[in-house]
Amino acid sequence: MITEVLQQVLNGLAIGSVYTLIAVGLTIVFGILGIAHFAHGSAAMSGGYLTFILTERLGLGFFPAMAVALIAGAALGVVLERLAYRPVRDAPQINAFIIALGLTMILEGGNLLLFGPDQVVIPTPYQRVYTVGGLVVAELRIQVMLTAALAVAAMAIFVSRTRAGRSIRAVAQNRQAAVLMGVNADAVATMVFALSSALGVIGGALVGALLAIAPGVGEGLVVKGFAVLILGGLGSIPGAIVGGLVLGVSEALAAGFISSAYKDVIAFLVMIGVLLVRPEGLLGKR
Amino acid sequence: MSRALRVGIGAAVALAALALPHALTVPYFLHLTILACIWTVLAQGQNLVQGFSGYVSIAAGGFMAIGAYASALLSVKGGWPVWTSMALAPFVAAALALVVGYPSLRVKGHYFAIVTLAYNLVIVTVLNNYESFTGGEAGMPNIQRPAALVLGGLQLSFAGREGYYYLVLLAAAAATAGGALVLHSRVGRVLIAIRQNEMVVDALGVAAWRYKLFAFVASGFLAGLAGALYAHFIGFLNPEPFGTDQSMNAILAVTLGGSGTLLGPIVGAFLVVTLPEYLRVADTYRLVVYGLLLVLATIFMPRGIVPMVSRGFRGMATRLAAALRPRPDPTP
Repeated sequence: MITEVLQQVLNGLAIGSVYTLIAVGLTIVFGILGIAHFAHGSAAMSGGYLTFILTERLGLGFFPAMAVALIAGAALGVVLERLAYRPVRDAPQINAFIIALGLTMILEGGNLLLFGPDQVVIPTPYQRVYTVGGLVVAELRIQVMLTAALAVAAMAIFVSRTRAGRSIRAVAQNRQAAVLMGVNADAVATMVFALSSALGVIGGALVGALLAIAPGVGEGLVVKGFAVLILGGLGSIPGAIVGGLVLGVSEALAAGFISSAYKDVIAFLVMIGVLLVRPEGLLGKR
Repeated sequence: MSRALRVGIGAAVALAALALPHALTVPYFLHLTILACIWTVLAQGQNLVQGFSGYVSIAAGGFMAIGAYASALLSVKGGWPVWTSMALAPFVAAALALVVGYPSLRVKGHYFAIVTLAYNLVIVTVLNNYESFTGGEAGMPNIQRPAALVLGGLQLSFAGREGYYYLVLLAAAAATAGGALVLHSRVGRVLIAIRQNEMVVDALGVAAWRYKLFAFVASGFLAGLAGALYAHFIGFLNPEPFGTDQSMNAILAVTLGGSGTLLGPIVGAFLVVTLPEYLRVADTYRLVVYGLLLVLATIFMPRGIVPMVSRGFRGMATRLAAALRPRPDPTP
């Protein structure tokens, strides 16, 4: 029994680290620019598909392919911000949200046109499986967790240690004051979208390797990402990390011990429960 | 616009709507018009929340599903008369909206949108998986149309498209009238105040959450009614048409038509039902074109078609009046 629980926790941590990646991307856009970037999951899926094409058709390794897709994804994020979100920056927030829904349709439709309706799995060489004290540890799951941890750490270092990162933090704290101090807020918006989309693409590629990419997966992922935001608290990066892992583990436990058909329902019930008790999220500030 | 002109236009539109089944020679057009009327009911409900209070709910499809399944299950499995089930279904959806609306209205803005989206996903997941009850993805066939009514010797049949058209037309008109009642009441004014500045509403000692909950429950009721009308019209149900796409259609209808106006949801509903038909030529590009329309509409006409057209008319009327006014004689 205890091994089974540990096994599910381990599985949950792997998918939870993907949720974390998606949620960190969402939370920086939300926290800094105040945009609920609903198209994030579909953009992440575009990156996942691109990784698949690069490994499958061009024979690139998994990580080099992901690196190329990451750059393309960051560029896509910048384009979306410039063309779609910036024109409604000063309009009521609901407008940006409706734009986000429109972008989701465009990206989902675009993915369908470019990559077809079939489910794809990104091939990786990490197929070994270890057994540690009764626990089955797949090498791929370890790789997924390490990659996610590295990506989030790299982003945290960029934001906390570089000059560009400092301007991002300044805009997040007080946009007007930052602009008055000579911070280029437009450049910050561009940077935030590039960072967020790059993280999203890593998440998309990892989902493609771990599970599969198919139409609709991106939408499911972004909803999970927002559920994580609600769990962890708005705009909080530690909250997104903890929330992602909590959601992944509770989902895996629910799938293992209650019902795999209803695991999404259980994940959302957890979210709604948290909202009732702590509307500001687990790590959010009142 | 003067009152007489308004009444005149209203009467003309009503007459045209009543005569429509005789004018449409292609049965498929009548089919689309029926769907557009059903979607008008849905969009008027969405407008109560999105247009009036400014909260985006992404659960319209889910509540539509509740209404559709409630009515279908009551009449097919429960053996109840179709009229009774159709009349009860909106209340079932409204009751659910009350239960789930209370916790979710504690959060604001985007959070509310995401929570309602989660409800929609939960509803569709349960409908898909609770197969013994709902038939799962394979669906539920043989949902009957309502029985004929006899009113003073006049028999009204709803088995054909024409009869059903009058039923959904009545529902769409009632939903619009309901929206008008709300808009011109104290409730409507509070809802609009919430959209403009919720903090001020709270600070004035008005319990904003009650009004938001009312709007959410009323929109659940209308979505449920739309679902029931849909179920008995199509005659077959599975969870597929009630996914988040449908909720986004409701949002699109309100946004395109004119959020917060009474005519906007009607225009929007007809657009979301007929546009995909026109775009069917390019079916593969449908989603992309649809999304592009939504983005462009939000950027370039953020208030929707109806306010834009009415402003255009008003501008034209002023210019016309100015042109017709006798000019002062330039020579002294």
